[in-house]
Amino acid sequence: MRDKRKLNLVVYFFLLPMLFMITIVNPYVVLGQERTIRGQVIDSENAPMSGVTIRIKGTDNATSTDESGRYNIAASAGAVLVFSLLGHETQEIVVGDDTTIDVRLQASSRDMEEVLVTALGVKRESRKLGYAATAVNTDEMTANRTTNMMESLVGKVSGLNITPPAGGAGSSMQIRLRGQAAFAGANNSPLIIVNGLPMDQGARGANGAGQLGQRDRGDNLQNINPDDIESMTVLKGATAAAIYGARAANGAIIITTKSGQSGQGIGVEFTSTYTAQQPLNFMDEIIQTEYGQGTGGARPRTQGEAQSTGQFGFGERLDGAPTINFDGIERPYSANPDRLFDFLRTGAVYTNTIALSGGSEKGSFRTSFSNTNAAGIQPSNDYKKRIFNVGVNHAITDKLQLQLNVNYADEDNFNPPQIGTQGEGAVNFFTRMANSTPLEAFRESAIDPDTGTEFRNSGFSGTIVNPFFQLQKKQFFKDKRNRLLGTATLRYEITDWLFAQGRFNYDRGTAFSEWNVLNGTGSSTPYEGDTGMYRGNYNLRQDATNDINADFLLGGSKEFGKFSIDASVGGNTWRTQFQRMDQTSSLFVVPDLYSIANGTLRTQSYGFSRSRVNSLYGWAEFGYDELLYINFSGRQDWFSVLNPDMNHKFYPAVSGSFIFSELMSTSGWLNYGKLRGSWAKVGSSNGVNPYDGVLTYAINQNQFNGQTLATVAGDFAPNLFLQPFTVTEQEVGLEMRMFNNRLLVDIAAFNKITTDQILEVTLSNASGYDNSKQNKASLKNTGFESLLEVTPIETSNFRWTSSWNNTYLDTEVLDVGNESGSLLLIYFNGTGNEFLGELRYTEGLPMNQLYTRTYLRNDAGDIVVSDEGRLRASTGGPVGNGFFPVGSSIPKFTGGWTNALSYKNLSVGIHFDYKFGGTVLSATQLNMLRQGLSKQSLEGRREGENGLIFPGVYENGSPNTSVVGDLQSFYADYRNLQIGDPFVYKSDYIKLRNVSLSYNLTDVVKKANMLHFVKGLTVTASARNVAILYKDIPGLDPEAIQSSGDFRAGYENSSLPTTRNYNFSLNVKF
Amino acid sequence: MKKYIVLCSVVTLLFGCDKEFVEVNTDPYAVSEIDPALLFAGSQRTHLGNWTAEHTIVQQFVNPYNQGATLGFNFNEDIDGVNTPKWNDSYPGSIRNLTQAQQLVSDDAAYTNLLSMIRIWKAQVFMGLVDAYGDVPYFEAGKAVSDGIFYPKYDAGSVIFDDLYRELKEAIGALNPSGDYVSSDLFYGNNSENPSGSAAVQVEKWRKLGNSLLLRLGMRYTKLDPAKAQSIVSEAFAGGVMTSNDDNAYVKYDGTLFTYDDNSNLRNFSHFNYAAEPFVDQLKSTNDPRGKYILGTFEDPAAVANDPNPDTVLANQFGVPIGVTNTALAAEGGPYRGARVGGLNYSQMNIYSVASPAAPAFWVTYAQTSLLLAEAAHRGWIDGSAQAFYEDGIRADMAVYARYPQTAPIPGATVDVYLAHPGIAFDSANALELINTQYWIVNIRNGTEAFANFRRSGYPVLTPNTYNNNLQGGFARRLAYPDEEASANAENYAAAAAAMGGDNLTSRVFWDVP
Repeated sequence: MRDKRKLNLVVYFFLLPMLFMITIVNPYVVLGQERTIRGQVIDSENAPMSGVTIRIKGTDNATSTDESGRYNIAASAGAVLVFSLLGHETQEIVVGDDTTIDVRLQASSRDMEEVLVTALGVKRESRKLGYAATAVNTDEMTANRTTNMMESLVGKVSGLNITPPAGGAGSSMQIRLRGQAAFAGANNSPLIIVNGLPMDQGARGANGAGQLGQRDRGDNLQNINPDDIESMTVLKGATAAAIYGARAANGAIIITTKSGQSGQGIGVEFTSTYTAQQPLNFMDEIIQTEYGQGTGGARPRTQGEAQSTGQFGFGERLDGAPTINFDGIERPYSANPDRLFDFLRTGAVYTNTIALSGGSEKGSFRTSFSNTNAAGIQPSNDYKKRIFNVGVNHAITDKLQLQLNVNYADEDNFNPPQIGTQGEGAVNFFTRMANSTPLEAFRESAIDPDTGTEFRNSGFSGTIVNPFFQLQKKQFFKDKRNRLLGTATLRYEITDWLFAQGRFNYDRGTAFSEWNVLNGTGSSTPYEGDTGMYRGNYNLRQDATNDINADFLLGGSKEFGKFSIDASVGGNTWRTQFQRMDQTSSLFVVPDLYSIANGTLRTQSYGFSRSRVNSLYGWAEFGYDELLYINFSGRQDWFSVLNPDMNHKFYPAVSGSFIFSELMSTSGWLNYGKLRGSWAKVGSSNGVNPYDGVLTYAINQNQFNGQTLATVAGDFAPNLFLQPFTVTEQEVGLEMRMFNNRLLVDIAAFNKITTDQILEVTLSNASGYDNSKQNKASLKNTGFESLLEVTPIETSNFRWTSSWNNTYLDTEVLDVGNESGSLLLIYFNGTGNEFLGELRYTEGLPMNQLYTRTYLRNDAGDIVVSDEGRLRASTGGPVGNGFFPVGSSIPKFTGGWTNALSYKNLSVGIHFDYKFGGTVLSATQLNMLRQGLSKQSLEGRREGENGLIFPGVYENGSPNTSVVGDLQSFYADYRNLQIGDPFVYKSDYIKLRNVSLSYNLTDVVKKANMLHFVKGLTVTASARNVAILYKDIPGLDPEAIQSSGDFRAGYENSSLPTTRNYNFSLNVKF
Repeated sequence: MKKYIVLCSVVTLLFGCDKEFVEVNTDPYAVSEIDPALLFAGSQRTHLGNWTAEHTIVQQFVNPYNQGATLGFNFNEDIDGVNTPKWNDSYPGSIRNLTQAQQLVSDDAAYTNLLSMIRIWKAQVFMGLVDAYGDVPYFEAGKAVSDGIFYPKYDAGSVIFDDLYRELKEAIGALNPSGDYVSSDLFYGNNSENPSGSAAVQVEKWRKLGNSLLLRLGMRYTKLDPAKAQSIVSEAFAGGVMTSNDDNAYVKYDGTLFTYDDNSNLRNFSHFNYAAEPFVDQLKSTNDPRGKYILGTFEDPAAVANDPNPDTVLANQFGVPIGVTNTALAAEGGPYRGARVGGLNYSQMNIYSVASPAAPAFWVTYAQTSLLLAEAAHRGWIDGSAQAFYEDGIRADMAVYARYPQTAPIPGATVDVYLAHPGIAFDSANALELINTQYWIVNIRNGTEAFANFRRSGYPVLTPNTYNNNLQGGFARRLAYPDEEASANAENYAAAAAAMGGDNLTSRVFWDVP
């Protein structure tokens, strides 16, 4: 109830300014005397068109053409007639003095004459572009709504690889355009440009480990409401992005939000969406349900045994007999395979958006408010966001145009799940506890009544934590964020061919995070040591970012007969500032009271950084007869984070397009044909942080025995000689439309080479430091993108469009800058409590190469076991430590198949997508095997089996005949020796991703007189993640494995299940 | 065109293009200058190694759980988690800070004594590394920032020891009584338990510490080159080694703000940690007065902190036999003592005294020194009575126990009774075993020393763990290099491993000749 009131307050708070805005925009339509307008509508072949709707904009007056294409309608001068027919370009014509208006409607041909918003907000005709730029269908995005809008683009755009990690209600996305341009450590996601304001995707908590890192805390894209988006363009290549300089080395996604349309009446739009999220359970594929808790084939007999063996499923065959649990209570010795899913709940997301727009001859505005309320599938994980958006266009004079966009987002993220690593987290707990303890035992005995600490339930106390303990004692993690994005643009038309533009972007974000670790987590004592103080800790963090981008642009275009020139010069300064305040408190006086004041050990820290990039750039485009276009561009960046002696970089680019269909007859099968090509060089200091070149010291916050102590700050060795790295990209493309635009083929091939990367390198820590950054290493992303779109059926009532996009990506590490040819990114066992594999960059192999030790094999390929029949691990190998490459985490093929069907007012969308060729290491399965919890661990104790004779040979080559009776030790060897063979899977999948059904009820509503003020009504139902048609990894959704960062790519551990979403939405326009 | 040029110039002036960039790239809130003495003090606190490594090789302490994460020397397994802590505490810990501090003070006469202290302490850290791992990075170590060496080469242990000898000699020689007083020195500075108050007193203590380390270094050559050992030992002795517990180099922990982490782990993971049978038997059979402060039997071995009154009666203590798994130990009706509550029916470390998080950390002590002198005297390398040095060493160690929490001073009469015990009383015929068995007990909290001296002297007499045949019936002779180092510094690692006869537990460090 209280929430509702709050909502009302907010609505009023925002509605009032909206009303105010209406009054400042000039009156819209000067209504004159009504007259009858007549005319005829014809198609491109001059044939009359029947059934064309003619509506007076802003009213509900409408008519349609007859069999001879004729119409008549009453309208006054100044009114806008809208001519529309499905499958054709809609035309708007302002009624002037004439009473006859004839119209020719063109079959819609998408981007044939499409105008795209490209770099620096410049609108350009698609035909002139010498590089791949794809406009995103924003309708599909709103029909298949997701909490983070980027998730709805999975499999939709070739070259764009989106991986949504299963990270809870407010989680981030991994977004990669044309592969991964640089090794981990750089920001490899594309630059996001909102109304000219560049921002990083800014995924938080994407790389695992620690209280913060283990929780995916979202990214900056969720600050955008998909309903506010007018257009979205994906600039895939470096060429497209060259003009943005360093930040766009990974391509760019350009988002323009709505700011109303001039000459349009007042409109109100309301959208309401409800999504239910059901966790997908694949665990029955791997969980064993035959044996219960215990070790050595025995069930626990005492409470102590029940506690120390809680994590092991090497007990007796399940028989349902009462057996002691960790809390001393006897419960049936039976399998409980679905505990995790009984613990999880159905997620629910409610989103309501209200928008008000209007426009006059002088300008337009749109303002919206959106409220999202999401309950994640893990209990206590709630995510709320509110987005307020305003866009205003105003012509101050005939020549001076002002545009203003403001987006304000306010997010609350509570208890994002802990995932991706061993440690606290419900998934890790429930997949790691022997199956014979039922969920209610953990719920009823979460807290030890004697000590108030976590009831000891396993020998892995602390490594796995009972989530009910966290819930009942109210462990919390709160993340509150505010973000204001503001852009003001002034454009002045100096002459009809020359303009000047100035722009100021302001991006301010604040984040307040607060979390605790409970007294008694993984411990039976509430006191810290001999201090008599209570355990646990409490943490506060406040971040503030300030980004300013100011730029100017001077541009002109002129035509000389058949020749045209379009040229611009500009400059930009980008200034960032970041502040962070951290406070922690522990050793509490009062138990279970989490506040700074209650703690006797407090730490504080303040972090500050700032950086600046200044740039100058320009481009010139030469065109000939709408047939040939060539574009040259250049940009120079200066970076504050680099050594002043080598802090700048120049990037040239050239691209061209050849519209060969201009040379052919217009009546042939080819409607449009374009050949394009480009070359660009982009640099980036991406990966160098402020002060990376400066050594500093840290003074211990608390004195030690009254003595101040200091250390060198951090384990990072500064490197003064870093330079920006370079990405060179070449691209060729071909675009053809055929058979009356029924068939579209758009293909592109690209080759992207990154050199002198700025790498965070793992040092030998004998150097005194754990890591540093170096310019070294190069890599290559080569790819082939295709889009095939056909419209097999198109009648006046029915239309079916089917499109298939595919990306083939081939990555190769060319050089890692060391003699061994292999660079270690992460040794998982070195991160604590992880037992499997390495992630490396190795020359000649694809990027993100996973390595693991394997079974020891002899020359004949047989697995060699020890004299006792136990496992042995591989030794030597390409990197000397017994680890062998098992595949790259990056899929080779990604794509999707979209079908859009419309029959009258009904639209149906069916989308499939797939990824193939990636590899994943599953630590969950390793842990389940060594703990006797998975089906794999049944080998050796199935019916009739009395121990395991592993299929292998002895050192001398004779077959293994040794029976291993101690299966627990045998399977533990996979962990001890880090043998990975059974845990390597393909991350391949084919999914029926979306099915959506949308019905436009406008006509129905129109018929009811009482509802005549309703201009449009659409209801949509959709389902997401409908079915996995193919996958390789058992027990998990292959998409549930990745964090959105690059550091733990291809490593799966304790990931939250993915969900199937059911989505209902209602859109009303007044 | 002209217009554009003008515009560009205006822009350049406006933005300056890279004007102020140096200032922008300076963190106004960071500490960019430091008193090097504070870096030095910071590195004195770093402890070297971990209870679960060398202690378990020399059978003082054991982890009988053969279930993954905790597996270690009780099963003769080469486990990275056991090998690594000492390396990681040394190189990116103390060596980083000592190297940086050394660079800040070098060539500055105002820091003569600080420089010597840095060099002496660095020598002790490196000596421990060679003792534990064998050949290690030395000449190129710690130089990522100063020299841009990210992947240091390894040096032969013998070469390192030669240089440590030189370093110790030079550093001791450079100590100047009228030079700088390093008040932040954690061992002998203003905030230590024995503040020096003046440079003269402080350098004297450092001279004794330096010579005691030199003595230790010399003794390491016993098997390899007795003549060299004798020469260094007599040189150290002549130079003046520690003469009382007041000279001990140790760090106190007050148990509130800072705790000795390793001990906290011992307590928090008590379920896995037990006293080993040979060690318990040694204390029990000689009725060692230190025993009750070292050992304890807790109500629930899995939750030792819940029991504030453990049974510390020596006769009631039982150590876990070596090389037996927890499953076998816990089995009902088996040959062992079985399970108790959440753990095993055996003794653990006394977490309220020796293993208290508030226990001081003794790095170099008079007790160690005196026992080394006892052996040197017994061998005739120095003048003096081996028995006197032996008994002084024991008395000194008994006295040190008063520094541990929840202890009472051990009365002189009790010590006398102990010294007269047939298993303890000095006997020239059995001197090496007696002396070095004591060294083993004295170093209950310094696994590196206990392990090094065991390999050097062959005492105490322990039975090799034959759990499997991994060590061919012998003892672990060293720790393996960290896996991460093997990956990150692959080439240098491979060369070092080859030079040592393989990176395995049975390779020997240079002074440990069979």
